Amino acid sequence: MIERHIARLRARHSISGAEEQAIRGLVSETRRVAKQTVLIREGALLDSSTLLLDGLLCRYKDMEEGRRQITELHLPGDFADLHSFTLKRLDHNILAMSDSLLATVPHERIQRLINDHPRLGRIYWFSTNLDAAIHREWVLSLGTRGAAERTATLFCELQVRIGLIDGTSPKEFMLRMSQSELAECLGITPIHVNRTLARLREEKLMSFRHNRAEIYDLAGLRRLADFDDGYLYLDPEPL
Amino acid sequence: MPHYYFDLHNGTGLTRDEEGLDLVDEAAARAVSLETIRSILSDEARSGSLDLVGRIDVRGAAGETVMSISFEDAVQVRQPAGAAHD
Repeated sequence: MIERHIARLRARHSISGAEEQAIRGLVSETRRVAKQTVLIREGALLDSSTLLLDGLLCRYKDMEEGRRQITELHLPGDFADLHSFTLKRLDHNILAMSDSLLATVPHERIQRLINDHPRLGRIYWFSTNLDAAIHREWVLSLGTRGAAERTATLFCELQVRIGLIDGTSPKEFMLRMSQSELAECLGITPIHVNRTLARLREEKLMSFRHNRAEIYDLAGLRRLADFDDGYLYLDPEPL
Repeated sequence: MPHYYFDLHNGTGLTRDEEGLDLVDEAAARAVSLETIRSILSDEARSGSLDLVGRIDVRGAAGETVMSISFEDAVQVRQPAGAAHD
């Protein structure tokens, strides 16, 4: 199941056979968690990082009255908290949005990996920088885009990130999240999300129903979002 | 917790809520409706229009309409004296 993680890395950087073996050595224990499980609580002391093998995770921050802002989504093959390797305590929570399969990677193994393979250390450093780039784009969206443009941007991003595992540009994909959770990504209410999705459907750009996203017109959706995939660093300089 | 559905009627037609939300009571459903209307109006205002013709019909789990909140109920509007309505 770690294949997706390796495929995700190889989508951007070459990984040698020896490096691949070292990455495989990171994972021994896997565990399943049910949807709506909070895997990591803000402030808890951590001695391992969590790699998502299958399912959907998010980073979120809590507000009073049960309000939440989701700040990033994690797809299969993503580390949810590689940054806990240095931070040790997170300033946010990590939630399983769907039933998920996880691998726990002790920080001491990551330490050994980057001692033995400094280039993999740089590749994982790149990976946390990429998370930061995604956060910046979300800030841009929340601060400057309207509801429809924001929604379009999120689906453009997910369309690229989901396609990275198998090198495709998918026309449809599954996304196991509710409109309420989508609302928590987009900073609008669930009913406003429903209205916004209806508009995108009426304009024949995309639909999202019953956990299934269908992109009717990718170029049109990108135009509406003013989407530039540069922040996803799809063709980075070699490390 | 009771489940409520929020059907939106506005200038672009009816958007039926198929998913709904679990909320503690009708007061919470009303609060969600008001927040949504304000969110939609502010989003529209960004692109230069303000259409107060619309409402949210809140349905209970059995499909019965629990309340109806018009867009006008969600905002206080002040206009210059003598402003024309059309």
